[in-house]
Amino acid sequence: MGDMLTVKGLKMYFGGLKAIDGIDLNLKEKETLGVIGPNGAGKTTMFNCICGVYEPTEGKILLNGQEIQGKKPFEIARMGVARTFQISKPLRDISLLDNVVAALGIEYNKGFKHLFAKSHSPVVVDQALEILERVQLLDVKDKKASEVSLGYLRRLEIARALAINPKLLMLDEPCAGLSNYAIGEVIDLVFYLKEQGTTIMLIEHNLPISMKVSDRLVVLNFGKKIAEGLPKEIQENPQVIEAYLGEDDEDA
Amino acid sequence: MYAIVVATNIGIFVLLALSLNIIAGYAGQSSIGHAAFFGIGAYTSAVLTSTLGVNFWLSLPIAFVVTGLIGALLGLASMRVKEDFLAITTIGINFVVVAIFQYAPIFGASLGMSVSKPSLFGVKMDNLMFLILVGALIAAMVIFMRIIEKSWFGLALASIRNDEAAASSLGVNIVKFKVLAFAVGTAVAGLAGGVYAHYMTFIYSSDFAFLVSISILSMVVIGGIGTIRGPIVGAIILGIAPELFRFISDYRMIVYGGLLVLMMLFQPQGIVGNGSFLVNKFEALFGKGRKKSVVS
Ligand SMILES: Nc1ncnc2c1ncn2[C@@H]1O[C@H](COP(=O)(O)OP(=O)(O)O)[C@@H](O)[C@H]1O
Ligand SMILES: [Mg+2]
Repeated sequence: MGDMLTVKGLKMYFGGLKAIDGIDLNLKEKETLGVIGPNGAGKTTMFNCICGVYEPTEGKILLNGQEIQGKKPFEIARMGVARTFQISKPLRDISLLDNVVAALGIEYNKGFKHLFAKSHSPVVVDQALEILERVQLLDVKDKKASEVSLGYLRRLEIARALAINPKLLMLDEPCAGLSNYAIGEVIDLVFYLKEQGTTIMLIEHNLPISMKVSDRLVVLNFGKKIAEGLPKEIQENPQVIEAYLGEDDEDA
Repeated sequence: MYAIVVATNIGIFVLLALSLNIIAGYAGQSSIGHAAFFGIGAYTSAVLTSTLGVNFWLSLPIAFVVTGLIGALLGLASMRVKEDFLAITTIGINFVVVAIFQYAPIFGASLGMSVSKPSLFGVKMDNLMFLILVGALIAAMVIFMRIIEKSWFGLALASIRNDEAAASSLGVNIVKFKVLAFAVGTAVAGLAGGVYAHYMTFIYSSDFAFLVSISILSMVVIGGIGTIRGPIVGAIILGIAPELFRFISDYRMIVYGGLLVLMMLFQPQGIVGNGSFLVNKFEALFGKGRKKSVVS
């Protein structure tokens, strides 16, 4: 069986800055691939290339064998790639429920057929409520996204991502900036999604979390892949240890 | 009767404020040269009826479509410039459009354009008939906006207004929805222009100057951007005030500008916007009876 995602010779330069400098990786169906590396290693930039935010300077990205590099973010989302953002991007002035309904709109925003159709039909609202329950946000569903704390927003982004019914779920530091308790909630959620057979690509700066959740890890540093393997192998890899020891404790 | 004249004028500005609200409120695009589209509709229908002999009732939908198409182009342009730059671009468009009205012979150039009052069922339309026409258009617009607020269109605009990167990650085609918002909002302004031209029977380029755009924007913001009632209340207040207080009329723009600044400082939701002092008091008194809509 082929890979769900294949990245070949990916390069992303910002002027003279080589944020991604030749990365190859692959991701199998139902696998959780952890992406780790120090701040500035190029993790988020790689996500942005896969999701169509940036058109890569060079290289190919294949989703189920189909080239997607250079496609628009909304097209890639419609092909089944969902993502969360390192700096969360809630739709602030509408409720959490409406945030999820907006994501369910991926089915209805195509063409012009449903343009003026009611968004909050009973079927859609039920779907949204079910997703909100899965991420345990049901009790705050009517709050505006601007009124809830970061832990809720992280789970809201996961809820939104799930609402587009993804083949591939890409999480960019879903635990960053959270309290231990909130981190626990997010990790539980990721484990639950793994059990459901969701294919996940997880950027996680925190090594212990990454080791625990991922089936396999790739390590980036200075835009290059410096290691790849099972969590245990990565833990003992001297290059990885050096990359991590060499950096400040300060999180970006 | 003078009251009818005032009411019709205010009604036309209610339409303009509501139409700007689709672009600036629902879609969150800082378009502040809306009078340009008011003018494009006015001159389009004026040329159609007085120069080409087209029937007034046919000229209105044509003005609607022509203005909407030009607005759609602006929507496309808005993909290239963001926020502050979009605001400046739309101001520029307003000035360019006014200059064209002022210098192009087809638009009467510096003499302006005269049009004759249209007829309905063989009767020349009087002021009352225009008031009824404007009222009917406002009613239709309110119904249309309520539909938008509850629709996938409205929700897509809400997502764009909040965060374009997030919206795209949810499969929203930003270009399509922005162009639609601009097309719809400007088309209605064009329609209002067509009515205005034939109600006034004389139009001149300065009727559509940038100051008029500022008036429309003030109405939306002072009333409450993003809601339906806000632009209506704003247009009525700013429309009636100069009639009631003569001195306001002389310093209209200073008063509008001052009000705009005060609102921004103390009540950015507008007088009757969601979460405003008045609406909160009202909801505290009578309970939150109505379900909140997604867009407002
Ligand atoms: N849009 C951009 N323009 C210029 N430089 C960028 C841009 N995005 C990221 N970078 C740079 O690329 C490098 C990698 O950043 P990033 O992918 O965010 O790292 P990580 O997510 O691994 O912490 C950094 O040096 C960052 O400053
Ligand atoms: Mg990052």
